[in-house]
Amino acid sequence: MKNTNKIVNVMVPVISIVLAFAIGCIIIAVLGANPITALQALWKGAFGSARNLGTTLSRATPLIFTGLCACFAYRCGVFNLGGEGQFIMGAVVCCVIGTQFNIEGLPAIILCLVAGTIAGGLWAMIPGVLKVYRGQNEMIISIMLNYVATLFMGVLFTNWMRDGSVPQTVAVPDASKLTRLFGLRVTTAFIIAVVVGLLVYYFLFFTSKGFQLRAVGYNMTAAQFNGFAVKKYFLGSFLVSGMIAGLGGSADILGTQFFLINGYAAGYGFDGVSMALIGQLHPLATMLVAIFFAALRVGSTTMQAATGVPTSVSDIIQALVIVFTVAGLAMVKLPEFKAFLNRLIPRKEVA
Amino acid sequence: MREILSMEHITKRFGDMLANKDINFEVRKGEVHTLLGENGAGKSTLMNVLFGLYQPTEGSIYLHGNKVRIDSPAQAVKLGIGMVHQHFMLVEAMTVFENIILGDRNTKGVFIDRDARRKEILALSEQYGLDVELDKPVTEIAVGAQQRVEILKALYKGAELLVLDEPTAALTDIEVEGLFQIIHKLTAEGKSVIFISHKMREVLHISDRITILRAGESVCTLNRDETTGEELANLMIGRELVPSQYEKIVDPGAPVIKLDDVDFCKSSKHNGLNGVSLAVGRGEIVGIAGVDGNGQSQLAQVVTGVITPDRGEVDMKGSKVATFTPSGFIDEKVSHIPEDRNKMGLIGSMSVMDNIVLKSTEQPEFSNGNGLYLKKKAIREYAEKMRQKYDIRCSSIEQETRNLSGGNQQKVILARELEGDPDLLVAVHPTRGLDIGAARFVHDTMIAARDKGCGVLLISADFDEILEVSDRILVMFEGKIMGEYSGKNPPIKEISLAMAGR
Amino acid sequence: MEFVTNLILASVRMATPLIFLSLAELYSQRAGLVHIGLEGLAAIGSLTGFLVSHITGSPLMGVCAGAMVAVLVNMIYAYATVTLCAEQIVYGMAINIFAPALASFIYRVYFGAGSELVQVSQMSSLSALLKVNTDSFIAKLFLEQTLMVYLAYGLVIFTAIYFNKTKSGLNYKAVGEYPKAAATLGINVIGVKYIASVICGALAGIGGAYLTTCYTTTYVDGNVAGRGFIALAAVIFGRWNAGGVLLACLFFGFCDALQIRLQVASFNVPYQFFQMIPYVATVVVLAIIGMKKAGPKSCGKPYRKEER
Repeated sequence: MKNTNKIVNVMVPVISIVLAFAIGCIIIAVLGANPITALQALWKGAFGSARNLGTTLSRATPLIFTGLCACFAYRCGVFNLGGEGQFIMGAVVCCVIGTQFNIEGLPAIILCLVAGTIAGGLWAMIPGVLKVYRGQNEMIISIMLNYVATLFMGVLFTNWMRDGSVPQTVAVPDASKLTRLFGLRVTTAFIIAVVVGLLVYYFLFFTSKGFQLRAVGYNMTAAQFNGFAVKKYFLGSFLVSGMIAGLGGSADILGTQFFLINGYAAGYGFDGVSMALIGQLHPLATMLVAIFFAALRVGSTTMQAATGVPTSVSDIIQALVIVFTVAGLAMVKLPEFKAFLNRLIPRKEVA
Repeated sequence: MREILSMEHITKRFGDMLANKDINFEVRKGEVHTLLGENGAGKSTLMNVLFGLYQPTEGSIYLHGNKVRIDSPAQAVKLGIGMVHQHFMLVEAMTVFENIILGDRNTKGVFIDRDARRKEILALSEQYGLDVELDKPVTEIAVGAQQRVEILKALYKGAELLVLDEPTAALTDIEVEGLFQIIHKLTAEGKSVIFISHKMREVLHISDRITILRAGESVCTLNRDETTGEELANLMIGRELVPSQYEKIVDPGAPVIKLDDVDFCKSSKHNGLNGVSLAVGRGEIVGIAGVDGNGQSQLAQVVTGVITPDRGEVDMKGSKVATFTPSGFIDEKVSHIPEDRNKMGLIGSMSVMDNIVLKSTEQPEFSNGNGLYLKKKAIREYAEKMRQKYDIRCSSIEQETRNLSGGNQQKVILARELEGDPDLLVAVHPTRGLDIGAARFVHDTMIAARDKGCGVLLISADFDEILEVSDRILVMFEGKIMGEYSGKNPPIKEISLAMAGR
Repeated sequence: MEFVTNLILASVRMATPLIFLSLAELYSQRAGLVHIGLEGLAAIGSLTGFLVSHITGSPLMGVCAGAMVAVLVNMIYAYATVTLCAEQIVYGMAINIFAPALASFIYRVYFGAGSELVQVSQMSSLSALLKVNTDSFIAKLFLEQTLMVYLAYGLVIFTAIYFNKTKSGLNYKAVGEYPKAAATLGINVIGVKYIASVICGALAGIGGAYLTTCYTTTYVDGNVAGRGFIALAAVIFGRWNAGGVLLACLFFGFCDALQIRLQVASFNVPYQFFQMIPYVATVVVLAIIGMKKAGPKSCGKPYRKEER
């Protein structure tokens, strides 16, 4: 039974991806291009060469952070939709320190990353505190704070830290940038992301506190009756998930972005949510989905060049994956489906 | 007498489970026909089939001699069947009046004609002696009054046949008396009543005929005048009923917990505590008897640290409790079998294994470095051991607890709560919804814990359960302790009066 | 003085899309469906409204089309949450991701990437239709509004009457409060939930279309700008009553108007700080109302017919 469950849980996103691609192909065909050529171009663009793979992993890096941010919070049953704002606040603080403090090199990198992490965590504490102590809807508040963070970033690049005539901030000095791996676009930020993902995985599934956090997420009342300090877990999960996003923002600034500009990080928060949901709140699966999303984005540029199909087809495919996955996961939980499955697979175990 | 309802060869299957097996059941005009049976005997299933909530797998239903197909409650209501569910179907956010007219199809017009409806309702309520306050929110009236609203609701929709599902479960004796008068009036006016219960005394008092269900099958139908309580009980259970066989303790040890004049939300009659003083000694079972909703939940939550009393003192093993937190009480070796297994006791989406070690993953037995690395193998072995010891029936210890039966869920909780040799066990309705075998297992386990020196506070609305295992009995009514009685040869009459507040 | 009158006029204009969106949320929640996907529904409504208005030249057609397409998208939500019992919050998020992506895609495909800003004609106001002059403030306030504004206020009144005075409204509310009880009374719970989703989709689509046919004349990605979520806050703030929701929307509309007026007044402060006002106001308002639990009781919980 357990095994069937596991297989079903893996199959749902896989089938969803196939379905989403099928619809994507129909759209491509309707737009007048050959779907096979388009998909080939997509694949080549994303994974076709070391250089392309590097670009894909580099694009995946910030997504991994926001995905893990969502994943961690939801595991504790709090809906932090503010990954984008927390990511931006991390980037903002990192950018301020990296460009205004006259420091360079490793000390600057460490200081920037730490400060960015703290900034993201603190930003996430606002919805956290309001939820725990004022009983308020954390979703609305964290989303409102996304807009506030984006606007605040706007103040920096249009006004306070504007670099001459262009509406963007000055870039961090070269000495403070993260090293590229094998000369590709991907930097050590990716390594940091993977390490964070592994740490989250270890914490959730191999430590007692992680176990308790999951229990709180599943059933808050029972967790409280069994002696877990529910409020602390709520606050803690907001803090940590915000810190993950904040670290992501600062690592992205030092790794690939270097300066703040209009539209930066737009959509990363909701992307994170959708990756976490497709990955069924498993940190490792979430990372894989992040790479998948990045591949779609990077590959779609090649696809556009090769076939003229607009890149936003990849957004549609991505959106369809989430629509199908979430519906599919609900469907397999229905008793009708379970009965269907039982008829399909004769029971082997003896009661 | 004319038969208004007859259900023939009703069979209802849920997957592999047979809930009703070839049941024949009929009701005559103007009679009270009781369905008697234990939990899980199939009473509710049969009634849900009648009310259109379930479709029978086989069998047919005749009303006034005509074959009918009832595929929805709407259809049932149309055919003149009214049902008063055990858990009232009242919308809390609405007033009594709104609840009664809800779903009305008989009147024309888009808008609610309050004056006309009111007149109709008042006429009905006078006819059957169902006095209700129409403009009060349903949350502000007593349980007995809510039940009258439910009956009125059914009559207003034109019910000729009323199903009352365990109507006395939440009532005091006086309220039960009032209900019986209403039932008499109903039958005198030509309505028929199906009365569902497992309480022998009431059944003998109110029924004209009695049909006994056991394990999904109809055992027989008897006239009230031709039977006795013993016969009914034996037919219902299928074997001889044995009186309490547990030895009662009269000299308990030093108190584990002592409450002195404890208040919590004093003004609330249903959800408060008013000057509660009690003590539970080592090696005794103190039973708290009382009708549901007289402050028992709050008492349980105070003695497990979930809520903090407004006033009064709580002593734990001789020292005063300063802060109330569940974890603080757990550290003092207080165990809790909460009233709602699924909501408060278990993490339904986690496995049997995880639920068994829920509280103890930081113990060196199960993890290194205070929980920094879980010893999954040790946890698995321990859970496997508990599964055997407590006879938890599951496909594997990896199975999610929400998919277990009630009895097995309770066993998971017992395995978790009793394995650490607690000093105090707080058990709230521990056998609610369990079959006899599982209930016996729970009682045996509690007695075993007591004999090991654990103090047990048993809170239950099931009077028989209280009598069965308690060494000392306290009665709660509206947040107050009404009296204390010995569990050895308890004065049953006195206790039931105290439960009604007298 | 002009500052104040302009502020009031702008408040009414800015409150209108919020009223549509909040009523959409209200109808959804009253049937027990918490819908956090309004942002997405409004986005697709906004694009459709713009597109159809561009093709037909009629903003009114645009609004109708916006409503229809949003209803279609919301049927996905309804099917998933009502029939498949998917978690409402999660599926609302899915809609928030799916619908804007679709809107953005359609815009790109139709108008081509990086094309120049396309403009459509704005819906004309009642005063323009009646050809009356509107020099006075009162005339401006009551006559110089598009039809959508009157529709919004009309809907508020209708909603208040529907939920408080009609039999059908009472049954509808019962579905959101206690669906099982509603079912035993013969109310078609699933049906009401689907109807609620149709109403919700239509209103959210109109709210979105308002943005491209009445408020501005262009479509840009992200033009809903959090209004879907502010509407959610307005429903909480308005205590699930049509009247309360109207007041809440006027308040948030005022905040929006205020930030625009302050930007125009051009103090020596970066304009983004003014733009933050509606968002910060929402957070502050929610923080002030605090704990009190309210709202339809069955919200967020799936309803299964044959429970066992």
